[in-house]
Amino acid sequence: MPELPGRKVGIVACSGEELAEGTVTRLAALKVLEQLRPGETVTICLPLFLAGGEGDRAFARFYPTIAVDGCEKRCAARATELYSGKPAASVVVSDLVREAGLERPEGARRLNESGRQAVVVTADRVAGLVDDLLGGQWSRRSGSFVGTAATTEPAGTPQLGCACASAIPVQTVDVDGRAVALAALPLIFEQLRAAGKAPGPEVTGELLATVRIYNDVPAGTDEAYAVALEREYAAYCGQELART
Amino acid sequence: MSPGERKVLVVPCSGIGKTYGTVSREAAYEVTEDLRPGATGLVALSLLVLGDEDARAAVRAHPAVTIDGCKLACAARMVQESGGHVTQGIAVLDVYRRNRELKPQGIAELNEGGILLAHAVAEEIIAVVDGVLAGEEGSTHA
Repeated sequence: MPELPGRKVGIVACSGEELAEGTVTRLAALKVLEQLRPGETVTICLPLFLAGGEGDRAFARFYPTIAVDGCEKRCAARATELYSGKPAASVVVSDLVREAGLERPEGARRLNESGRQAVVVTADRVAGLVDDLLGGQWSRRSGSFVGTAATTEPAGTPQLGCACASAIPVQTVDVDGRAVALAALPLIFEQLRAAGKAPGPEVTGELLATVRIYNDVPAGTDEAYAVALEREYAAYCGQELART
Repeated sequence: MSPGERKVLVVPCSGIGKTYGTVSREAAYEVTEDLRPGATGLVALSLLVLGDEDARAAVRAHPAVTIDGCKLACAARMVQESGGHVTQGIAVLDVYRRNRELKPQGIAELNEGGILLAHAVAEEIIAVVDGVLAGEEGSTHA
């Protein structure tokens, strides 16, 4: 099995600048990432889903992701679903503030006391969701839970692990004349070669099975994928051999 | 913010993974709240990411200064992809290279170097804002 990024939960905050609740999302996310669940969480800047590459867009498929939004526009949840994958859970600060009976936060730049309390409430909720999500069985292939689902709010109702410099490696390959971006393929190649497995039909079967864990291989395309993967793996091994 | 208003928009990246993102955010607040509150407006990048129509209309109607914390330049790219015009794109790292003594640290909370670096960024922005608005005024009276 390739050594892919470990089991972590992704956190995507809206960071909305014009509302105090946006600042609450940012500080709550940072509190979880830095203090409450530092080894178990990772984050990415929301705009990277558009400005980044395929590896950035693979974020919410690789990591069960919690969207943290300041208001009912739910930019983080909606943009994550639109460009990456459906968030596994979602919280909205304005809802949490109401639930907790807090005054509305004020001071986007410097939060007032209510805003600071909202950070604590939001961070605690997110940390609890992280624990729930880590207890579930996440499928990186489908970007959803399989078997027993984690006990979280479903999306749609309401050392810092930064992923922006460590996006999931992606390689684009030609599958029957179509360019297909395959998440984690470079790592899979690396692991197979390190295990001493030379290109050939037997390894191609294993390769396809591993690629399928992290990518959607449409029904009826196994043969085309196998041809492409065998070719690409042979090319990779040839390049590596030439390099040594 | 109405389309006819004479304003320059400030769009920070607010990157969450690095201290430079926090510097971009602090600089934007300093400009829009302290230094040029009437002449500038803040646009949340998340709204542009989502394609919010009001935010897109605002960046199409007003000149924008973007502040980015890393080379991916999310703020500048999102303004451009939203149909807006980036009058000046400011890279926090470039400002830091010109002010090496202002070493920023902290993401949730900036250290003193970070606050001072944000101030240096803000000063560069207001020079652009003043220039843009003076230019607009000149063309109005021509």
